[in-house]
Amino acid sequence: MSAEQPALARALSDGEDRLVSADDALATLQLRCGGELPGTIAVPALLEAVRKARRYELKLARAITAQAGDESVTAWIEVEPRQDGEQGCEIVLRNWQTASLPPEDIDATQVLRAGINRHLAELSAVLDARQNVLAVTTEAPDLRELARAIESGLGQEWTQFVEIDGNAHRQPMHWRLLDGASLRVVGSQRAWRASLFPRAVPGSPPDGFDLCLTSDEPLPEPVAEPFNKASYELGDAQANRRVIGRDVAPALRLPIARIIANAETIRTRLAGPLAAEYADYAADIAAAGQHLLALIDDLADLEVVEAEEFKTAPDHIDLADVARRASGILGVRAREQGIVVDPPRAGESLLAVAEFRRVLQILLNLLGNAIRYSPANSQVWIRIEAEGERARVIVADQGPGLAADQQARIFEKFERLGRSGDGGSGLGLYISRRLARAMGGELSVESAPGQGARFILDLPADRKARTPTA
Amino acid sequence: MMESAAQFPAQSLSADGVEALLRVELASGDAAALNVAPILRHLIDNGANAMFSDAIIAGVRGMVCDLTRQLLDAQLRVKGETERIDHPTDNVAVLADALSANAALLGHLHALAFEWQLTRQMQARMALDPVLSPLLQAQMASADSQTASLAMRLLAAQARFCQEQQRMQLSLTELPGDLLHSVLVAMRTLAGVEADAEAAGAESVIRLEYHEARTRLGLASRLIAGMGGGGLAALSFSHAGTALFLTALAMASGQDRDLAVMSINETQLARLALSLRASGLKQSAVEEQFLALHPDIALPEGFELMSPDHAAALLAAAGPLAGD
Repeated sequence: MSAEQPALARALSDGEDRLVSADDALATLQLRCGGELPGTIAVPALLEAVRKARRYELKLARAITAQAGDESVTAWIEVEPRQDGEQGCEIVLRNWQTASLPPEDIDATQVLRAGINRHLAELSAVLDARQNVLAVTTEAPDLRELARAIESGLGQEWTQFVEIDGNAHRQPMHWRLLDGASLRVVGSQRAWRASLFPRAVPGSPPDGFDLCLTSDEPLPEPVAEPFNKASYELGDAQANRRVIGRDVAPALRLPIARIIANAETIRTRLAGPLAAEYADYAADIAAAGQHLLALIDDLADLEVVEAEEFKTAPDHIDLADVARRASGILGVRAREQGIVVDPPRAGESLLAVAEFRRVLQILLNLLGNAIRYSPANSQVWIRIEAEGERARVIVADQGPGLAADQQARIFEKFERLGRSGDGGSGLGLYISRRLARAMGGELSVESAPGQGARFILDLPADRKARTPTA
Repeated sequence: MMESAAQFPAQSLSADGVEALLRVELASGDAAALNVAPILRHLIDNGANAMFSDAIIAGVRGMVCDLTRQLLDAQLRVKGETERIDHPTDNVAVLADALSANAALLGHLHALAFEWQLTRQMQARMALDPVLSPLLQAQMASADSQTASLAMRLLAAQARFCQEQQRMQLSLTELPGDLLHSVLVAMRTLAGVEADAEAAGAESVIRLEYHEARTRLGLASRLIAGMGGGGLAALSFSHAGTALFLTALAMASGQDRDLAVMSINETQLARLALSLRASGLKQSAVEEQFLALHPDIALPEGFELMSPDHAAALLAAAGPLAGD
């Protein structure tokens, strides 16, 4: 093996096939495939190769493919049992290629969704052509009352037995309007969703329907009576404050996702030829829908960080590593805009006490802003600094910069500094600062108009790491 | 089968018992005799391109024996005997039997024998060199020294493969990792307690020597993976040559390579057509490959309407290994 190709990345796994350490590319792949670090290997093909190499004690080499987000990754990896006396394997990445996945076939997705809804239905009913109930079955304890009510009133419209959210219409409605509707059921705490499947007769209207009720929440665990009055009340109080994250977000996501999907269908002219202007309008609708979805996520986050009992789970983390991850995740978007992101070098390291996920969230927000508001062909730097008891990450850009009064306002809720229509909600920096403070840190900005901006995230340094004996 | 069935139980039987036993034996003998003609006809009828031609069966049997010999040699080497000797026929037969009972191994050897037959046919029909294809030549001339050296190593491995196939042999260390593991397990199991030390020693030597990345199939898949989007170029039979074409076809259509190899057989036209489609080839390119491999076959009408995704889904649902 004279001219061996240099490894693009290396990683180590342990005796239970968990990734314990990994270079950038492999770490990013692990995270984007939904895994954790350290954590069980998230790429199925890689996990299989590692498991075999460990059990067989053989050096294996495979081409693996994985779906990371909306990209398909093909990589060539070599897996060797570890030589350092530890259980597990060493993983070497030799080359890798990405290709964006083709958009999902909407019809096929709908067939799948329908299948899932049928499979997960906790109540199903047979309806006739006018949506009157012919038969009903349920296995969920909290739907028995509903089922009994329906059974005693067979032959009536199903909508009479439930409370359909936001609907003052006189029934019956067209079934397409009811398909996917959220509803409440007497006797159940859970939010429900109706799915209607027409029994199609080619060429004429459906001669009946199957109705399925599904819920995104599991049946609440029954709780023992004597202890729980107080905690019930507390639970209610908290629940009321969490109205967006718990109730509104799930209810809104579905219809918005549907708006986006349909707008995309129109935009891509899947349903037939269409004038270009209309396709552009559809693109606008889809973009607005995406914005709404992001806003809902932000609002749900906002609720979490504003709750009194909000706490983070501090851990010992390496800020340089988090910064490199953030830059890896947003690197593609930056390149699209012609912006170069310069993260801390490999080998640099700065230890802090904070929650990994939250710091990543803050850095993604800062970096996302920097990319969004920087001119093309500019640079964004992420730097780390130790200052006494504090560990610091700085995100600096070459954007238009901020005047003093703007700096004072920028961390406020819903502050957009007069901007609109660019997909921002005005909540990102507010949430980021709340997160930073909850971790015993601070988020601040230094800038002057025309000079770019430097956002500074201060966190408690990890003192133990510097003086391991202390 | 017939041999073992003919061994009557040793204990004495009553007259009735003997008669009953003979009756059963007679019936099973008749059944076997009935099958002789159709099996024989099937074997004789099969043309040169068939899955069970004499050459292919002989090749598979030869490779099984060669693997067996290497395993036994390795055990002898552990004992310090380096001179090549003939192994006792019993040892050879028992181990070879165990290897032939391994369906996955047999499938792989069958695919290799079939690949070799295809390689020679293409050499005769299209003057396609068994070792050096235009694609491999281009890769060797690559400005990227890594790619060039990878291509050189693949060339050497392919030359070794051809040489071995001529002799109906196969190196142990050319097996895919999973199969090598199952072969070693079989060897250990058969060695039993008395020869365990030699078997264990041989096993650890083989495991240590082995690296899947250096096998011919490993090198080919790495070369194709490194080409990225250019891998589509390897989906031309006349450009890539048999070995690289088959690897590229397997990778692009998401199938096991052995399965992709068998899809070239003329009884597997649907699989070949779907594999090519699932790999993302356009209609004209699929037709071109069919023209090279099966000049007398036309694709069904409407095939051009099938999407690559749909083709891949059909393959995934139908594969004989789908449940694996």
